[in-house]
Amino acid sequence: MSTTDHPTPAQYWKIAVVLAVLTAVEVALFYINRELELGALNAVLLITLAILKFVIVVGWYMHLRFEKGLLSRFFTAGFALACGCYLVVLATLGVVVIRGG
Amino acid sequence: MSELATAAHLEGETTGVENRKLGMWVFLSSEFLFFGALITNYLLYSNRAGFSGVYPAEIYDIPFTSVSSFVLLMSSLTMVLAHNALSRHDQNGARTWLFATAALGSVFLGGQVFEFTEFVVNYDMRLSSNPAASAFFVLTGFHGTHVAIGVIMLLSLRGMSRRRGGLSDSHGMNLELVGLYWHFVDIIWIVIFTVVYLLSAPPA
Repeated sequence: MSTTDHPTPAQYWKIAVVLAVLTAVEVALFYINRELELGALNAVLLITLAILKFVIVVGWYMHLRFEKGLLSRFFTAGFALACGCYLVVLATLGVVVIRGG
Repeated sequence: MSELATAAHLEGETTGVENRKLGMWVFLSSEFLFFGALITNYLLYSNRAGFSGVYPAEIYDIPFTSVSSFVLLMSSLTMVLAHNALSRHDQNGARTWLFATAALGSVFLGGQVFEFTEFVVNYDMRLSSNPAASAFFVLTGFHGTHVAIGVIMLLSLRGMSRRRGGLSDSHGMNLELVGLYWHFVDIIWIVIFTVVYLLSAPPA
């Protein structure tokens, strides 16, 4: 893979600004929720923002989107295994409620 | 980052990926299970009523932790700039950004020590106060330990670079591996900041 495949320093700075803005929005949401009690919407928005930040760091700073698929598969497998395993634990113990049919 | 790996590194490696790099990605993948267990443990006990003592969610200092999170997030920027400088054979730039990353990591650690001290001294929330406090200290403590290990690795790389007059291609791979570890520590904090600090509530 050539260097040109990777972002330039200027692009890294822009990505950092995006990450900082997303963090600021998260904190703002925390205080908005205190005043307006957004309930489940607050959780959905905060988790969405966290996922966005996560994907940006993994994709651009860790360069996973520029790497071979093998690395993505290993990384995603560990993440999916952890999420699946612990969601089952949380659902079983009643911390996360999964509504179905 | 693979431009730093020379063709010689890949010789005989059937996956087409440098073995050490593949090993690091597999290690990081397994770390999801480690931190997942600690985060799950916190979620199980964070708002379970019936225990004495102060609950972590009652005393979080969100503005302070937000600044800490910002500092750690920016350390990912300096880390990637260190790698970028090395890929352009700018040894001084790489050393400077490595030091900046270690400094930002140290500021984050200082913040964590301050937070823990505040909790223990001002609020008397200790490791054994209640299960929520235990889960909080164990989770954030292990994350802090990871950051501390990262700072040691960053400073070691910088020292190596100074002593040898620069980092070779082989050491460039070391920088890449340390960088991957550092970014991983950052993404774990992204999850902790949201789930533990912003979303958790004390028992009703």
